[in-house]
Amino acid sequence: MLLKYWPATTNLKFMSLRIGGALLSVLMITASIYFLATRGLNLGVDFAGGTVMELQQTDTVTVESVRAAMPFPAEVNSAVGTDARSIVVVKFGAADPSKLGDEFASLAPAAQAERAQQVTNDIVAETLKDKLGLTDEDFLRDDSVGPKVSGELFRSGIMALVAALVLMLAYIWFRFEWQFSIGAVAALAHDVIITLGVFALLQLEFNLTTIAALLTIIGYSMNDTVVVFDRVREERRKYKKMADRQVIDQSLNLTLSRTLLTSGTTLLALFAIFFLGGPVLRGMSFALIWGIFIGTYSSIFIASAIVLSLGMDLNKKPAEDVQGFQGVSR
Amino acid sequence: MLQFPPWKISLILGVMLWGTLMALPNLVNMSGAPGFLPKNGVNLGLDLQGGVYLMMEINPDEVVANRLEVFAIDVRNALSNKDGKPLIGHLSEVDGRTLNVRLTRPDADGNYPIDDAVTRIRKLNGSVEGAIGGAKTYEIEAASPQLIKVSVPATAEEALMKGALAKTMTIVRRRVDPEGVSEISITPQGNDRIILEAPGEPDATRLKNLLSRDGRMTFNLVDSSPSSIAAAEAGVVKPGYHLLTGPETGPLLVRDIPEVVGSDIATASQGYDDGNRPQINFRLNGNGASKFYQTTRLNSGKLFAIVLDGTIMSAPRINEPIPGGSVRITGSFTLEEAQDLAAIIEAGEMPAKVQFLDQRTVSATLGRDSIRAGIRASLIGLGLVALFMIIAYGLMGCFAVASLSANIVLIVGGLSGLGATLTLPGIAGIILTIGMAVDANVLVFERIREEHRAGRSPLTAVQAGYERALSTILDANITTFIAATILYLLGSGPVKGFAVTLAIGIVTSVFTAFVITRWLTVMWLKGFRPRKLAV
Repeated sequence: MLLKYWPATTNLKFMSLRIGGALLSVLMITASIYFLATRGLNLGVDFAGGTVMELQQTDTVTVESVRAAMPFPAEVNSAVGTDARSIVVVKFGAADPSKLGDEFASLAPAAQAERAQQVTNDIVAETLKDKLGLTDEDFLRDDSVGPKVSGELFRSGIMALVAALVLMLAYIWFRFEWQFSIGAVAALAHDVIITLGVFALLQLEFNLTTIAALLTIIGYSMNDTVVVFDRVREERRKYKKMADRQVIDQSLNLTLSRTLLTSGTTLLALFAIFFLGGPVLRGMSFALIWGIFIGTYSSIFIASAIVLSLGMDLNKKPAEDVQGFQGVSR
Repeated sequence: MLQFPPWKISLILGVMLWGTLMALPNLVNMSGAPGFLPKNGVNLGLDLQGGVYLMMEINPDEVVANRLEVFAIDVRNALSNKDGKPLIGHLSEVDGRTLNVRLTRPDADGNYPIDDAVTRIRKLNGSVEGAIGGAKTYEIEAASPQLIKVSVPATAEEALMKGALAKTMTIVRRRVDPEGVSEISITPQGNDRIILEAPGEPDATRLKNLLSRDGRMTFNLVDSSPSSIAAAEAGVVKPGYHLLTGPETGPLLVRDIPEVVGSDIATASQGYDDGNRPQINFRLNGNGASKFYQTTRLNSGKLFAIVLDGTIMSAPRINEPIPGGSVRITGSFTLEEAQDLAAIIEAGEMPAKVQFLDQRTVSATLGRDSIRAGIRASLIGLGLVALFMIIAYGLMGCFAVASLSANIVLIVGGLSGLGATLTLPGIAGIILTIGMAVDANVLVFERIREEHRAGRSPLTAVQAGYERALSTILDANITTFIAATILYLLGSGPVKGFAVTLAIGIVTSVFTAFVITRWLTVMWLKGFRPRKLAV
């Protein structure tokens, strides 16, 4: 229908912009590393340990009254929760061990380190219930993570990222050529570093869900890159005399309408989550929206540009793998 | 690419029927349906239905130390005669992961009977449960002419931890769910962790109080003479006794060696006393009842302390021998306290204290709000995508939307059929899949458009479009599937839920885009034989 009005052939010279793209990417990566080094990531309780409590805001439960009722100073803020409710968010680490009672003092030091967060959490919850006349139902959320688990979660999160990158590198190597696999993984690393940089710059909370979002960005960016690469390989074989640069530009133009349509629809879905999915999903959908932009950009200016610089020698390999897949499908 | 023989069509319809049946319980109550139909919809994660998540750990050091404490009693018996008088004088002490048995009485030449003692202790050394080749539970060696060290080797420790974890899980289950009716899930993780997930509105503090107690129950005779107690409080404790206290009784001197122990208890329950106040009733097993009868027969007039985790619960005076083994503890308990204590006593003693590493509570209200927001976002996302596809591709866009709807049904059916858990990030995964499922359709449509423009007839353009797009679609989705697999393997909790929906979504979107859209397109082409494709 409306797509009829989209030009049948575009002829944008993407690769002539690659120097500019490279400069922009270097700039963004440098800035990201700078922000990561100076501001650091705003680690949520999943990774930093500690407690987050969310209370329903009422006439008696306000930021001031909660702050006054706390047995020790803590971060108390107001926020907008799901369904536009006003909530009070309390955030704290483990309290001074001397305040945690006799039973706690009698524990072994190793046990104390692990128990401190839980004991603190219980004390705060009990104090708030007493002083503000609350029941369990008034605590919308109460997450308390000890130092041991938060460390493990962080390590396994990083491991997941690295493992995903390595496996994808292997898969692309197997399906294409080493030049492609380097281009693809460089693009992924680029996406991850810059996304982390954005999280550091805006001080968005970095938690388990963010790791899931990062992996999805990797998946999406890879998806986009593979579509372009598939086309580059096909065009390269079809036009054996054409210069690499022209082949890549032509492939990018041929896949352009698909790229825009897919990112467009995915963005539509993601904006729906961002605005309507409630605050719990907002961080994740923000990361994904950002990831679509950066993933699309990197397929063109990082992945394809690197393949162009490294050169292609696809004539060595006949097109047997494409045939193979067709055989399976029939 | 364009042939749909009857078997293929029945396969497509079969898959759709299966998906629909599996997804059905999420929309309608299926409890009255015939037995072969699935009854249960998608499991909701704790973040969507509210509840408490607790990660607990048992410490290997403590498991080993507790086992050595028990072994120390066996050692004492082995080094004593039948009347309980020591044959070989010694002092036992557990120090970290070793039991030190220090001999105290040398013979006339100043030598200690160390060889005799080692031989006697080694006789107690059994094989590790479940181990092949008869590996022993303890390593027993003379460290000096006077000192015997007992430790637990690594292989035995592994078996010990396995047993301790299984036992702890049983006790956790019996404490938090004595009736065995609640939906609390208790699962092991690794060899030293237990994850408890209690959906709904449980009280996190009460759960933790229930679980943080050792549950070590003993019945000890008491020396209640004021002079002995005063001396003990001044620091001179009568040998063989130790000072304990309790809210009802105040400080009392209780004998070190209990008369009846926790394992002698058959059942415990909460009841009411004559004044209708909550009390704890329990019944001893045969062995416990006879020990209890003997003790009460021989110690008339003395106090008999009921001790739980180092606190005297109650210390009634023995007036007459009590046969039958029915005992009760009265005191000023609330109903809830009495119920919890009964559950703790009945469940028995933990092999080691559990530590809470990670606790997450979501109220049911927040859960309800989250699921509502998630469903609303999905529907609106789906609507926007559908509108976009129809505007962009017209009739072919309608085919894509039909297959997209089939995709949603299959994802929900797949989640229900696999018994997977839907979490809030999982809902985000579904919405993301909606966006990405369109990609497979778009790839094909763009390819068809291209072929059609190059002058091919609609039928051959569709054929070529699907053929050429296939390898791209597979490559693109396999890489995303790799990411989902890694997330599933390394992620935890809500992230795992996201990975599952993403993985199911990838499979169903390739199926729907590549099979269902193609089938619809081919039916249309064959039915109407259009000269031009309206894409």
